[in-house]
Amino acid sequence: VIAYSRPFWPLFLHVLGAMVLVGAVLAAVITSWVGWSRPDVPILRRATFWALVSGIPAFIVMRVFAQVIYSDEQDAFGGQDPTWIGVGYGVTEPGLLVLLAAIGCAYWWKRSGKPRAGRIAAVLSGVYLLLLAIAWLAMSGKWG
Amino acid sequence: MLHVTGAFFFVSGSVAAGVLNVLAVRAERPSETALLLRLIKTTVIVIGAGSVSALIFGIWLWHELGYSAGAFWIWASIVLWLIANALGGIGGKHQARARKLAEQLAAAGDASSDELRALLRDRKGNAMSWLAGVATIALLVLMIWKPGS
Repeated sequence: VIAYSRPFWPLFLHVLGAMVLVGAVLAAVITSWVGWSRPDVPILRRATFWALVSGIPAFIVMRVFAQVIYSDEQDAFGGQDPTWIGVGYGVTEPGLLVLLAAIGCAYWWKRSGKPRAGRIAAVLSGVYLLLLAIAWLAMSGKWG
Repeated sequence: MLHVTGAFFFVSGSVAAGVLNVLAVRAERPSETALLLRLIKTTVIVIGAGSVSALIFGIWLWHELGYSAGAFWIWASIVLWLIANALGGIGGKHQARARKLAEQLAAAGDASSDELRALLRDRKGNAMSWLAGVATIALLVLMIWKPGS
């Protein structure tokens, strides 16, 4: 009932922002994991950094419109948020720290060329992609 | 949930391909362009799995949720799905041509050429990929808006 009564734009922009964010992180995961075995290739360092940076505007759109939807609908939950909302918040806020840490390591890798920086960026990007997958499964499956 | 997961694979894989393509066009050396265009193949697997599963689970939901057999937004979505895949396929062939040329140049001294630059910036070839993206976003609009349901 809630899904059908939602205004179009906030939900569309929330979903589009989430999908673009996942795509940007997926591109970074691909380039950084290839860079794991080829850390000397400069284009992989630059590609990982710029792919992660392109996720920031998408994160903002996704998070802002999540809040718009939540503000309109929180009364429908009777003061107790369902599990899927909690998972969404649990992923987006600590997840932002993971994304920023991945961007920081990708920048370190781009500037220094140190393989260790690239490997940390690869692991952080992979972890963040996994967290985003948990969030989309929880929200689309309405866990709880 | 499976339909939405398919849609995430489809749209996010397309975004990842777009990011890698933009970076490949801006790369300085043919070996760098060729490497990034090769990595797009990984996203094609994600896009393919997502588009097929979104369609299959979407048709299953169509019957499960009892939408009308003549629902305009569902038929329009199927047409957009076909357009997005057809245009994406044409755009992919253009990228494959650019990748092959970049690989040849990389093997012959790694110096760029006017032909590669022209191929990477070819408006018609790139337009196919961007129009596939527009069709995919229009598909997402219909899936969320569900006009007439």
